Amino acid sequence: MTNELAVSIRGVGLTYTTSIDKKPTLKARVKSLGRGKKQTRVVRALDDINLDVHYGQVLGVIGTNGAGKSSLMRCVAGILPPSQGRIEVYGTVSTLLALGVGFNPSMSGRDNVFLGGLAAGMSREEIAANFDEIAEFSELGDAIDAPMRTYSSGMYARLAFSVAAVVRPDILIIDEALSTGDAKFKEKSLNRVKELRSDDRALILVSHAMQTLRETCNDVAWLHKGKLIQRGEPDVVIDAYQEFLHLGKSAAIDEDV
Amino acid sequence: MSTPLQVYEPFRAGLPKLGRYWKSLWSRRTFIKEYSKSELREQHFDSVFGQLWLVLNPLLLSAVYFILIVIIGGATDSARYAHLTASLFLFYLVANSLTGGVKSITAGQRLILNTAFPRIMLPISAVVIAVFKFFPTLIVFFIIKAVIGTPFTWQMLWAIPVLLIAIFLSLAVAITISCVNVYFRDIASFLPYLTRTLLYLSPILYEATALKPNLRALEIFNPLFPILDSWSRAMVHGEAPHMSSLLQGLAWATGIFFLGTYFFLSREREFAVRL
Repeated sequence: MTNELAVSIRGVGLTYTTSIDKKPTLKARVKSLGRGKKQTRVVRALDDINLDVHYGQVLGVIGTNGAGKSSLMRCVAGILPPSQGRIEVYGTVSTLLALGVGFNPSMSGRDNVFLGGLAAGMSREEIAANFDEIAEFSELGDAIDAPMRTYSSGMYARLAFSVAAVVRPDILIIDEALSTGDAKFKEKSLNRVKELRSDDRALILVSHAMQTLRETCNDVAWLHKGKLIQRGEPDVVIDAYQEFLHLGKSAAIDEDV
Repeated sequence: MSTPLQVYEPFRAGLPKLGRYWKSLWSRRTFIKEYSKSELREQHFDSVFGQLWLVLNPLLLSAVYFILIVIIGGATDSARYAHLTASLFLFYLVANSLTGGVKSITAGQRLILNTAFPRIMLPISAVVIAVFKFFPTLIVFFIIKAVIGTPFTWQMLWAIPVLLIAIFLSLAVAITISCVNVYFRDIASFLPYLTRTLLYLSPILYEATALKPNLRALEIFNPLFPILDSWSRAMVHGEAPHMSSLLQGLAWATGIFFLGTYFFLSREREFAVRL
């Protein structure tokens, strides 16, 4: 790999305890005083992950539900601190982990573009400069001035994606956000991601759409139960993953549990 | 190879790098403003009737309490009413910061789970909202004061440092309680009793000077006491507050602020897991 390193993930593990009690309350704490042990369950979300992402790479992350894909993305974004290991990030990170974060449904689409953009770390001036582009990309037309609670879920997602798509960070992490809207918008957002591919940017895509990943990525990592199973050429890794999905469990993957 | 911009390592108790934290907080000041504005709009404070309600609500409250004073204490003088409104309005600045701050972290769950930003932003914007709500009531107070005819003097400028201390205290309690609520979610339901108790323990329904000597302990252990006393002296009576009261209020605010902020900053990286 000739390009510079963007993200370095070294021996990262993530464990967290979830309590059996639904919410941590003072009442529950007082009640459990007599019982001694706290009612908790330890979840091992990530287990000794080593992964380097270089600039110019488009890394696809695949795996079944609960494989730890989102946890890993949150670690790289700095939302969750890892329990073991070390993550080094060489650049600005923008995340698209869930659509419409920071949006306020009672405000108009226009106001939410600003709110969402600010939440994503853009400045007011940047958003103002890009506003027309965002509005046009979302294809909302006059609806942009209507309160967002009047939007259909597709419109909501379209606006959210449009805001995120104009952020031009060094490292962009997209978690299953590409499959929004109708077929036409999906195509459009996919094209935008392809446009964003460049030598001075690293993209990390989490997706279940294998065909999309084959087309866009030049590298794929496969996670299963918090472990990195395979990493390499998209076609090779995806084929292996799909074979695994069809065959069910293979001994090499399931040895630990 | 260049040095990494960000390094994420296992979470240890302790403070993040304060310089960097402050920088990233400062760069998000527009977001704090817009976020608070949108919250206010959700509560309809951008409309005329919304603002009217904002003024009407404390006004009605002060009327109710005034009736209470008249019935129990037999006080009918108008300065008393001015004292009541002034103190009540300032009290609600702190109380609103508490009630807004307590759920700021837990309500911002989606934001916290999906974006990296200094979490302290959320209680800060709760305080910004409370301050926005406070200013219209200030105008109402000046109208009441003009009508009642208590003196306007230069000494009233003392109200400015008192207000700043009150806002500082609001920030301190909002940060503290928002963090506590992550670990003990039932604090939020316990809070109305806390604010109600504070209301009665503070010199709002009575004047600080009217306090019986054997209840002086209230003065020492209630952070709001010296602040509200100074506020009333400056705003209602137009006289300079005691310097000792100002310092006492400032000391309380600083103490709670540092304790709460330390607690918050050393814990905030864990919030995403706790929610």
